Amino acid sequence: MKTHPTEDILDAVVIGTGAGGAPLLARLAMAGLNVVALEAGKFWKATDDFATDERTQDFLFWNDERLTAGSDPIAFGRNNSGTGVGGSTLHYTAYTPRVQPDDLRLRTDFGVGEDWPLDYHRDIEPYYDELESFLGVSGPAAYPWGPARKTSYRYAPLPINGAGRLMEKGCRDLGILTSPAANAALSAPQFQEGYGWRSACTNRGFCQAGCNNGAKASMDVTFIPLAIQHGAEVRAECLVTHFERDSQGRITGVVYVQHGKQQRQRCRHVFLCAGSVETPRLLLLNNLANRSQQVGRNLMAHTALQIWGEFDEPVYPWQGIPGALISEDTHRPTHRAGGPADFVGGYLLQSIGVMPVTYASQMARGRGLWGATMHEAMGRYNHVAGINILGDCLPYAHNYLELSDEKDGRGLPKPRVFFSLGENEERLTSHANGLMRAIWEAAGARNIWAFPRSAHVIGTARMGTDPDRAVVNANGQSFDVPNLYICDNSIFPSALSVNPALTIMALSLRTADKFLMS
Amino acid sequence: MQHQNPPYSVLDLLGTDRVTPATRKALLTRLSEPPVTNPQFFTEAEFGRLQRVCARLMPQAETDSIDLAGPIDGRLAGKNTNGWRYDDLPNDGDAYRLFLAGIDQTAQVLFNLSFDTITPDEQDAVLRAVQQGEPSGDLWVGFAADRFFEELLAEVVEVYYSHPVAQQRIGYTGMADQRVV
Ligand SMILES: Cc1cc2nc3c(=O)[nH]c(=O)nc-3n(C[C@H](O)[C@H](O)[C@H](O)COP(=O)(O)OP(=O)(O)OC[C@H]3O[C@@H](n4cnc5c(N)ncnc54)[C@H](O)[C@@H]3O)c2cc1C
Ligand code: SF4
Repeated sequence: MKTHPTEDILDAVVIGTGAGGAPLLARLAMAGLNVVALEAGKFWKATDDFATDERTQDFLFWNDERLTAGSDPIAFGRNNSGTGVGGSTLHYTAYTPRVQPDDLRLRTDFGVGEDWPLDYHRDIEPYYDELESFLGVSGPAAYPWGPARKTSYRYAPLPINGAGRLMEKGCRDLGILTSPAANAALSAPQFQEGYGWRSACTNRGFCQAGCNNGAKASMDVTFIPLAIQHGAEVRAECLVTHFERDSQGRITGVVYVQHGKQQRQRCRHVFLCAGSVETPRLLLLNNLANRSQQVGRNLMAHTALQIWGEFDEPVYPWQGIPGALISEDTHRPTHRAGGPADFVGGYLLQSIGVMPVTYASQMARGRGLWGATMHEAMGRYNHVAGINILGDCLPYAHNYLELSDEKDGRGLPKPRVFFSLGENEERLTSHANGLMRAIWEAAGARNIWAFPRSAHVIGTARMGTDPDRAVVNANGQSFDVPNLYICDNSIFPSALSVNPALTIMALSLRTADKFLMS
Repeated sequence: MQHQNPPYSVLDLLGTDRVTPATRKALLTRLSEPPVTNPQFFTEAEFGRLQRVCARLMPQAETDSIDLAGPIDGRLAGKNTNGWRYDDLPNDGDAYRLFLAGIDQTAQVLFNLSFDTITPDEQDAVLRAVQQGEPSGDLWVGFAADRFFEELLAEVVEVYYSHPVAQQRIGYTGMADQRVV
């Protein structure tokens, strides 16, 4: 790997190497720029370092304490975000649905929420095409929802897991269309530039605790090796804390702590990609790019209710790619799927696998089981299957992130996040609850129970056209600090009714292209 | 090694090439860790009470004896967190201490005895009152007892089901993820 002295004035520093940081890092390096990525977490070698054990793999998560408030507090740690070279893609499930064009115009269609200042076909679709091929997404030959695809997915779908087979059965009875889902995990080996051969998925079902064979398209086996191959330096275990600025307010250097020592890297441009909690925390700490007062505001989280059930037949919920099956019939629900919607936006349905410690922990929190009842319920673990939604959420004034007075282990103020569902999210969740219970009943489930939750923090440094209402413009550039770009889940103007990672990566490539053109 | 249960031994399974070296190392380490007898964070008395609580939340056969309180003590001594905390709870260490003092007071109110000396059924009654957010005693004032109980229970079951012996009990063999050809 090429390295740069900190005194060099680099073309760009990228902060964070997850879904938002890694793709643009590779793009900038490939354009011949001098770039360094500063990443708080470690550089792991998954094939040697990752154990097939949930507890050991705790190191993948951002475990500095965050304070969670509001009437529906969000769970962080392993439920929310990761750290390490590759960021949260190290533990994502690799579910990679595309948005549908109407996801980008919620305000136009419903009069609430926000439109995106981007056009699906012009600004996003070409990047989806590129990403799905580069990452090696496995999916169905013909995808039933959204605009027609230019080509099929690169690889055949992964085998449908136990929950997927049951969901298929339940949905068929109810007349709901399902399809094998798109997953950024290989169903055939693929050669990856800078990395070598990635294996095909062995259906070990451990995606959320890290993939140990390169099958899953996390950034550490895709964009990061590509970036390094093209001259980027990835500096791990570097926590960025401050920015140096000139009299015009432009950033001239990034200050970070590596192995207990403060360092300073000079640069001409900064790409802040620290994720939707750390990005606003850094901006607030430095009082940066916040003339609009929107940093930390407009905080959204996907509605993500899970419905679990027990089946007579063995399911083996740890086996297979967890999100094997999808339905988007609920994207804008009609009488066919759960009845017409009384809410804004929509959701998708996905079959889910689950690892044992995660399931036990959810039964503790969601059902309060202990003693003999917990033993009995966990005794049926091998017969358990779940369905999950991933749905819209509107921005509200009552949902935001602020800095608290408490300091974390690194001496920085802990973030405090307020989150309470609005009426729209309550209605959407209740629609989904009824529908998923019906699917599980049709599939023959017993002891059905619901685990309410929200997933992903979104919108804390949003993109827009109006500098008074947004933090960055449509190209991800700060309105206030022209040499600062932001690219991660914080710039989404609306939550979207699909999982975010593929779209974050698409924005990342687009941000790099727009920057290189300017 | 005392952790042997029919119909298969998780220890034997860990010895096969169906398990990666990293996984084998992690699980064998956990299997061979001796139970904590000298707590680093809690006092002896607090630790003993926490062990009694754990024995009610996840009762175990004598032969299994998975150490539940020890890893909690270790985590708090190391100042480690799971990445989040309910804003209405004090920091994890203070919350645990408050809880351990609180259940003793509740036991006094309900049974005129220490939590450490009441029967298992009586201990369950105290814990149920905490879970429901209505334990008696002034130590609980301003403390979100039900919230803390959720945190405690989640931590205890996570420690328990992380143990290979508990995983064997529920028929989980996912740690053996290598194809043998
Ligand atoms: C269990 C789980 C499963 C998921 N599954 C899916 C899925 O199937 N599909 C999907 O689309 N999404 C999924 N997600 C969400 C997805 O992983 C994230 O949305 C996505 O990775 C976010 O990208 P990001 O660039 O915003 O942040 P991240 O990927 O989190 O990257 C941020 C990086 O910045 C680093 N960083 C933070 N602060 C600093 C600092 N001060 N200095 C230096 N570095 C810093 C962090 O260490 C981290 O590496 C899942 C999330 C979880 C928790
Ligand atoms: S299921 Fe496939 S992609 Fe997921 S961790 Fe296992 S091998 Fe990797």
